[in-house]
Amino acid sequence: MSYNINENTLGTAIASNRANRALLATPGGKARRQESQHRASLGTAFIGIGAALVVGVRAIYGFAWFVSMWGEYPNPVWPLAAWILLIATLVTAFVTARVIGDRLPDWMYLVFIALLALVVMLDLIAIWDLHNIGHYATASLTATMALLLVITLRGPVDILATTAVFGVAIGGSMVVNTPLLPDTIPPQITSLGFAVLPVIIGVSVVRGFRRMVQLELDRVLVQSTVSAPRFAVGMLASEELARLDLAAEELLDSVATGRNPLPLKPKIASIAASLATELRLHLIEGRRETWLYHAISESEMLGRSVTLVDRGSLAGLLDANQRDGLLSAIWLLLSDNVKATTDRTVQVQVGPIDAAVESGIGHKLLVPIVVTTTGVTRNRVDPSTWDAIRRAGRYSDSTQNASLRVDIECFVDNPADM
Amino acid sequence: MDQILKERDRLLHRTARLYGLSFTIVSLLCLVVPGAIPPESYLVVLPLYALLATAQYFLGRSRAVGWVIAILAVGVALLTVLTFVSSPNPTQAVASAVAQLAAASLASLAIVLTASPRRMIALGIAVTVVVGGTIFLTIQWDSILPMIAVMVLGWVLATIVGVWVSAGVPQAARRIASIGRAHRAERQASELEAQRRQGARLLHDTVLATLTLLAHSGVGVAPAALQQQAADDAKLLRQLRLGATPTPQSSGDYNLEPVEETVLGTTLESVKQRFGRMGLEVSWHGTGQVLLPSDVLDAFLLALAECLENVRRHSGVTEAHVTIVDDATTVRAMITDAGVGFTLDDVDSARLGFKESVVGRLKEVGGHARLFSAPGSGTTVVLEVPR
Repeated sequence: MSYNINENTLGTAIASNRANRALLATPGGKARRQESQHRASLGTAFIGIGAALVVGVRAIYGFAWFVSMWGEYPNPVWPLAAWILLIATLVTAFVTARVIGDRLPDWMYLVFIALLALVVMLDLIAIWDLHNIGHYATASLTATMALLLVITLRGPVDILATTAVFGVAIGGSMVVNTPLLPDTIPPQITSLGFAVLPVIIGVSVVRGFRRMVQLELDRVLVQSTVSAPRFAVGMLASEELARLDLAAEELLDSVATGRNPLPLKPKIASIAASLATELRLHLIEGRRETWLYHAISESEMLGRSVTLVDRGSLAGLLDANQRDGLLSAIWLLLSDNVKATTDRTVQVQVGPIDAAVESGIGHKLLVPIVVTTTGVTRNRVDPSTWDAIRRAGRYSDSTQNASLRVDIECFVDNPADM
Repeated sequence: MDQILKERDRLLHRTARLYGLSFTIVSLLCLVVPGAIPPESYLVVLPLYALLATAQYFLGRSRAVGWVIAILAVGVALLTVLTFVSSPNPTQAVASAVAQLAAASLASLAIVLTASPRRMIALGIAVTVVVGGTIFLTIQWDSILPMIAVMVLGWVLATIVGVWVSAGVPQAARRIASIGRAHRAERQASELEAQRRQGARLLHDTVLATLTLLAHSGVGVAPAALQQQAADDAKLLRQLRLGATPTPQSSGDYNLEPVEETVLGTTLESVKQRFGRMGLEVSWHGTGQVLLPSDVLDAFLLALAECLENVRRHSGVTEAHVTIVDDATTVRAMITDAGVGFTLDDVDSARLGFKESVVGRLKEVGGHARLFSAPGSGTTVVLEVPR
């Protein structure tokens, strides 16, 4: 039997209790998270090609140096071997990366690193007797930077650790091999920096790109709530109901076929009781939440820092344009977080409707929305936030507890007229 | 789309900050070796480095063009000072520091100057100023050719980074948008599916009734009857689950369809049989056929069954009477038993599931329920729904 009675399956009950959010271990939720992790690789293949291009340009530059210094090598065979091996490795790695596409298996990565290490060794052997690694090293520096080729296929930790090992190896060789004089130190520093820093910067670019894609995905997925009906059950609750139905079906089936003989064991009976309770609650309570609630509870970004107070479920009355404006505004207030350390939060209070206020516009109802924030200063708000708020309704902004507060007057169609 | 473009600019600016700051530090490190430049010139050089680093730091936070201009100005000033203090024969340290500044630290500007045609023009100007200026300043040096080569490399690499990230974003955005469209469809479908399942109330009511029996381990009901009931309910649930097959008409009348195929059904007769199997004899009086909209019928039958279930569990008798009366506007059912009865105030009606399963659902279809009882004189429930 696939159900687990210890699991609290009521989307509503859990979501309203922030402390328990981490326990929301529904199969559907998990699948969605995995899916979104996978989707974060969107577009990184393209970034990978860019990284390869960078490595290619760097290799041409290094090779030009190598050619220009041909006459100075004690034995040019060694650096030539290093370059031939490096070019072969780069081409193979590039093609393999394009074919594999998503993630490089461990053994392939190890082979790749081993080949690069061999290149570094050959290059260092070639120039050892010249006693100025920073000046004469060519293939070994390009080899370190070649880690950019697999930057989208391995985790940042792998790449950074490997880079550190290469950096320490080359830097150590420099200290051992090169007499450290005022005239020789700067080339060592710049060569090492030029080999190692591009990889670190590359890791940061890929991470930033992934984060950006993740954020945009989250936003686009949540955006779909804008077209939801006034009350909706939400994706999670719908999956839950299907799951409960299936669990009930399996239980009933096991009773019917005699797998669970009657009278039932207390354990099975208590499973039946909890199933009945959950099913009943789902059937009765399911359709009481609005799009805004679902948007906030389904979004990783909004769920963390937005609290919603909407006792009358009035957010459901907003039309698609108003919803879009309100959601974008909340999003903009939070995503403009310059520092990750500042804790921005947004509280949205929808309603209550003041019956005494005449809207004056046809039969429209006035729904007051109050957006209070923490950690958002008035002058740091992105200008497009105001455009978004304006789409929701007339607004006035003020400062409360050193943070922004916006009062919005939303005019909505009176549901009684519909 | 606007949102992701904003995020893209933020990413580019942050990358430029990391790129620029890293190589500014490398450049500064080159000057730390003894004898790199005359000691007194550090008084000018170090503040300039500090200014450059500050401007580069703020480039990562703001999109303002001012920081680009500031970096360019401070950078060119720094290059001028460095070449001036070491002329005519620069030390290796100065040559390296100048190369790092002109080819990498300042080249980081190329990352943020690729996003739009106007910025591309700015990029052209920046390249001219930095590369041209550096060539002009170092034309006398022995290492002028490598200097030009490394500057070309540095600016090309930074431009590739900027162009590539800028070009990758719209691609990703298009795919994300198509995922978003798919997700919207998925949400609508799941909403419909939830509606279909929630709409299958009658089915869920029999399932809930059976689960409730099982929750009491099935005690008090004939095992064979309960097994039969469980088999029927499991079959209904299976049909509900498989009902996802694309036959558009089936979702509307879904809860009626599988039930017709079974012995236990939507009709009053099937309710009677269900309770008969569980040991409660139900007698019907009055109208045999009730024609009602399906949602009203569902709510009505559900409430009725819930009341009968209460009779079965609490009244202590094995017989109940149901009288159905209908007129032009309403259908009314009266459920009567001659059981123990109770004082209305003593028993929390919520405990009987009365409020949520009976009153709540009838209310949704515009009906209502009334409860009459006294200890020792049985219980009567009147249910009313509009027709």
